Amino acid sequence: MSFKKCKDLILGIVMLLFSGFYLFYAQQIKTRPKLTPSYASAKIMPTLLGILLAVLSIICIIQGYRKMTSPDTQSDSSKKLDKGDVMAVVYTFAVIIGYILIMPTLGFILSTLLYLFLQMIILAPPEKRNYALFAIVTVVFTAFVFVAFRIGLQQLLPRGIIESLLGF
Amino acid sequence: MSTLQLIGGGFATVLTPTGLFLMLIGVAVGIVFGALPGLSATMAIALFLPVTYAMASSDAMTLLMALFIGAISGGLISAILLHIPGTPSSVATCFDGHPLVKKGQAAKALGVGVVFSFLGTIFSTLLLMFIAPQIARAAINFGNFEFFSIAIFSLTMIATLSSGNMVKGIMAGVIGFMFSTVGTDAIEGTARFTFGQTTLKGGFDMLAVMVGLFAVGEIISAAETSRHSDEEVIQPSMKGVKGFGFSMKEFVGQLGNAFRSALIGMGIGILPGIGGGTSNMMAYTVAKNADKHAKELGPLGTGRIDGVVASETANNATIGGAMVPLLTLGIPGDTTTAMLLGALTLHGLTPGPLLFQNQANIVYGIFAAMLIASVIMLFMEFFGLRIFVKLLSIPKYILLPCVFVLCTIGAYALKNNMSQVIACLVFGALGFAFKKLEIPSTPFILGFILGPLAEVNYRRGMIRTKGSFVPFLTSPISAIFLAIAVIVLLVYIFKPLMKKKKA
Repeated sequence: MSFKKCKDLILGIVMLLFSGFYLFYAQQIKTRPKLTPSYASAKIMPTLLGILLAVLSIICIIQGYRKMTSPDTQSDSSKKLDKGDVMAVVYTFAVIIGYILIMPTLGFILSTLLYLFLQMIILAPPEKRNYALFAIVTVVFTAFVFVAFRIGLQQLLPRGIIESLLGF
Repeated sequence: MSTLQLIGGGFATVLTPTGLFLMLIGVAVGIVFGALPGLSATMAIALFLPVTYAMASSDAMTLLMALFIGAISGGLISAILLHIPGTPSSVATCFDGHPLVKKGQAAKALGVGVVFSFLGTIFSTLLLMFIAPQIARAAINFGNFEFFSIAIFSLTMIATLSSGNMVKGIMAGVIGFMFSTVGTDAIEGTARFTFGQTTLKGGFDMLAVMVGLFAVGEIISAAETSRHSDEEVIQPSMKGVKGFGFSMKEFVGQLGNAFRSALIGMGIGILPGIGGGTSNMMAYTVAKNADKHAKELGPLGTGRIDGVVASETANNATIGGAMVPLLTLGIPGDTTTAMLLGALTLHGLTPGPLLFQNQANIVYGIFAAMLIASVIMLFMEFFGLRIFVKLLSIPKYILLPCVFVLCTIGAYALKNNMSQVIACLVFGALGFAFKKLEIPSTPFILGFILGPLAEVNYRRGMIRTKGSFVPFLTSPISAIFLAIAVIVLLVYIFKPLMKKKKA
């Protein structure tokens, strides 16, 4: 079975679990009954929201189940994603997480140089990978952003090796 | 102070060398963001927010309004030349815009689009300047009941109208509302859903949520397609074009159509939940149905300027409409105005009826900025068209990484540490998941923003009435908004059932 057909069913189940989790923690909220009456306590809205989401999830599960069991009326016309596209998303996530992890230690300049260059390679179609162009854009853009924000707008940015060498 | 004095004051606030410079930059960047498919007005404002942190609030709003106006109008360039709408606001511009290009009338299509974008903005701004102070005056008497009902009404409209699937729309709104409950409770001061984490005590930052959901989510989902899309840009020929490329007679012939489209755009802008993305389609459909020249000139869609006029007048008129609830009630109707709300809050301004009393210079400064920015837009799009067209050929794989770096700086600058950058990434991942599961993100954002407004006013109202909900239903304005919300919901629930019966 394709992901597309059971998408709503999965969504409904995930949301039902989430509403259970949310409702459980909503009941843990400490209220101050002497200060505010129960009908206006900090618990009331989260409880209502949790119940509402649970109801919506059940509707979503029913709709999803019907869709899943109904015969294929509309053919899957949307383009199938090939492996390269899925990998591009995975790699993009990976470099973004990497970028955020290394920034506090390597500093803004070095981590941005690395991130921009790698991300452009990931996103560009293989036949259009112009490494020289990517390198130039990376350096020029990083320099521009650093000058504009750190010097122009006095915005603090994570410091690292290059920043210390430049004296910022 | 008289209205004229206030308007004069507004122009004086904006017409400084800095103000003019900011508007020039804002309109130019806005047009680029509007023209490039995948980048939107919301993203333009998100990226420029960190730049405004250090500015005076009037300068900041001047820049952001210029970006807004430029971006909504800029969509027409790619809609006409690429047959791809740069933003959802110019989908209907493609219908007649591109056939006109094929007939060799690219310059005419662009000229018409630019001029009527300008007229749409001016018309709606003038109407806004007239309507908004009246609404603000009435809204000053609104209390807990009214604000609760207006928030619920707006949420219902957004959840039902902004997506094809009502269950998913409401779900998105509820989840957004849930995220807004994280942090210290505004009334009792107790911690909610913080799991002992001090960083969660302040709740999620509105800007980190929005930048994450829209900008970062957009970049991640672009990764899926960026390796395939190849768009050919048509270079318009400007040879022998005089003025804006159309005759005075054609211009006069379009005035009725433009006026009707501007009213549609303005009206849709005022209503929460539906914005430029709907108004251009609706104005186009109305123009098509009212068309009297279909026989001799061919129906709309075959390359008539009427289509471009309807779409571009309406989408720009939506800007003035959308500013009405934002400024007078503090209620954003779509994601772009939600961003503007974030910007106002960041500068210590609370939009709502009191803003008109206490910070009239800011309000009238915004009006003045809208008028001047549209004049700048008119000239910039006309004389700088070649440059904007050149920019359309910048590939996404170069552009999006740069956009992401700017998002990161913006998130970092919120607290000068990495916490908001991480939050941004989390919401970016959520945005991507939403896209995959076909959950609309607009109700999520507005649930997140309007949720606290609904909750606080509900609880304060209940305390005032000692636990009775009846006054929410008997106070006339509150009752009207709740009734409309219920009717909209019922219509949406029973519409599919009625259809089934007929079939």
